[in-house]
Amino acid sequence: MREITYRQALNEALIEEMERDPDVFLLGEDIAVYGGAYGVTADLWKKYGDERVLDTPISENAIVGVGLGAALTGMRPVAEIMYIDFIGLCLEQLNNQVAKIRYMFGGKCTVPLTIRTEGGAGRTLGAHHSQSLESWLIHIPGIKVVMPATPYDAKGLLKSSIRENNPVVFIEHKMLYNAKGGVPEGEYTIPIGAAEIKREGSDVTLITYSKMLFACMEAANILEKEGISAEIVDLRTLLPMDMDTVIKSLEKTGRAAIVEEDCKTGGTGAEITAQIMEKAFDWLDGPVIRVAGEDVPMPKSPVLEKMAVPDVNKICAAARKLIKG
Amino acid sequence: MIKEIIMPKLGETMEEGYIVSWKKNEGDKVEKGDVLFEVMSDKTNFEVEALHDGYLIRKLYEPSEEPIPVTTVIGYTSDNPEEKAPDAATAAEALKPEVKKEEPQAEGGIPPSPKEGESEMTGRVKASPLAKKTAQEAGIDISLVAGSGPGGRIEKKDVLEYMEAKGVQGKAAESAEYTIHEWTPLRKIIAKRLAESKREIPHYYFQGKFISDGIVNIREQKKKQGVELTYTDFLIFTAARAIKEYPLINARLINGEIRVYQAVGIGLAVSVEQGLVVPVLRDCEKKDIAQISEERKRIVEKARANRLSEEDMKNAGFVISNLGMYGVENFQPIISPPGTAIMGVGKLGKEMAVIGDKPEVKWITSVSFSFDHRVIDGSYAGLFYKRFKELFENPAII
Repeated sequence: MREITYRQALNEALIEEMERDPDVFLLGEDIAVYGGAYGVTADLWKKYGDERVLDTPISENAIVGVGLGAALTGMRPVAEIMYIDFIGLCLEQLNNQVAKIRYMFGGKCTVPLTIRTEGGAGRTLGAHHSQSLESWLIHIPGIKVVMPATPYDAKGLLKSSIRENNPVVFIEHKMLYNAKGGVPEGEYTIPIGAAEIKREGSDVTLITYSKMLFACMEAANILEKEGISAEIVDLRTLLPMDMDTVIKSLEKTGRAAIVEEDCKTGGTGAEITAQIMEKAFDWLDGPVIRVAGEDVPMPKSPVLEKMAVPDVNKICAAARKLIKG
Repeated sequence: MIKEIIMPKLGETMEEGYIVSWKKNEGDKVEKGDVLFEVMSDKTNFEVEALHDGYLIRKLYEPSEEPIPVTTVIGYTSDNPEEKAPDAATAAEALKPEVKKEEPQAEGGIPPSPKEGESEMTGRVKASPLAKKTAQEAGIDISLVAGSGPGGRIEKKDVLEYMEAKGVQGKAAESAEYTIHEWTPLRKIIAKRLAESKREIPHYYFQGKFISDGIVNIREQKKKQGVELTYTDFLIFTAARAIKEYPLINARLINGEIRVYQAVGIGLAVSVEQGLVVPVLRDCEKKDIAQISEERKRIVEKARANRLSEEDMKNAGFVISNLGMYGVENFQPIISPPGTAIMGVGKLGKEMAVIGDKPEVKWITSVSFSFDHRVIDGSYAGLFYKRFKELFENPAII
């Protein structure tokens, strides 16, 4: 299979969906002429022109509001919010309008809007450009939240998101754009709401998503040498969350560590932990533990930034603690 | 002061019971009359109440599928929540006051030493949910398992190691050739009681046919009046009358005594989801057919809802088991102790009968009886059978 980057996979998904459906169009800050802050929309403006690739003013609230209006009138917009750190600026549109309107009008309209954004630390961009805010979004009924880790998943899930008739927030990770992975030529999609076992194991389940998947894969290799067999569940979609796959894995391993980059307190892992308690208590052979981001504003210092997010060593330590105490 | 909680003897034939659940936790305050735990015996569940105010300070047995002999000490209450409860070994010893102190081993005792995983304050066992589940499924008291996990926590592997060491059979793996059904406590009780009956009671059997046209007619008439009666109702009604004339049929053999009861309680074998139960219809000899029908409906519904009490099932004498609805011609039912006779009812259908010298098509019920020869001899049973048949075939008499 050919290998392409996460960025290329996303770019391909956009092209394929724009070719497939003339109602698909893109809007966002610097996505047209400049090709996007991280280059995901590179060359699309040249290819599709002003009508289908729109540069917008710096107003996240307007981007999402316009996207919603276009979606309600039958278009299939893909809006880009350059950093998830700015999601607060459009939460009124997203939380009160985008997520609610189909419900409040009794299903008379649909909102086939995809909001692409990216988050995460690793480029020493400081407290305003490095956050992981997905846990805010999974608290909003009415939207779906997708967070792919691999180029393959990124392409298949972006295509599904664009075809989805409900609003989707599609969160990329800024450190993954250059990561390469196998992506087949030709058409495929991946269903929203389906987790995937990325590695099979029998002693402990590492539940993760987005960039932390790769830290988990590396940790699993180290643990294997120590005789600890780790299974890795890549959630891929956070809302709706595929707890069936998580529980099936726990039935096998009896132990869970959740690995997430977002802040620990009130984070995505807290929700996963609670659901495990509610749905799989009898399968647990030990407490669920979280390997999560520190509860601090993301430091600008590269040394401190590294300390603030989970890494391979922290994951290995957690797994050892679960097994050996 | 410490008070013992024992496995109660809830019926004269009860020898052991199963703890279904504790309703209080160790450390809980208990008031006299509070339900302490639920026991299953002889197919009924029974809630056992506290006899004294105080605190539940120790549970010696967890709910399991292992039977516990009656009068076994299963826990302690005390008016002082801090009071140290004796462990199970001491309890076992207490039952044998003659055992000399020098003997270090208490028979049937359980290793008493507190383990790392056990909280000294509450006596609660620190075990993972999965370990608890595994132990419960295997019928193991988890407090006997040594924990190797963090802080002495008992984990699944500890339970499995314990089972292997003790030779306890866990759940066998399902295979492609067969599926495994749990041998539930109710099924175990059925097995034990009926095996005992077949082993101990010298059964002998009658077979016969009752002409049933009279009953069929009455039933039709009643139906037109809007009263739904079943053939079982008629059988119970008739049996009660025949038994009144032959009281030995109503005997129970208990503790070496043949007790002949005044009141005629007739047991009815009722198939329920989990197995078979035999609730008793009381004072059948005093009830008319409509009352019997009402009572039968009530008790069968209660049985199907799994709400029978010990009271509903105790002291069955004569039992009726009806398999006629399945087209069964005849079967030899097993006597349900302490009763001494049981009737098996086969199908009701039209058959040729010789009436006088002529063949006639008649409604016929196939019946069979099993009697306990230790109590009832064949000639006595024969007279009973003859009278039963007479009453059933000529309902006008009664």
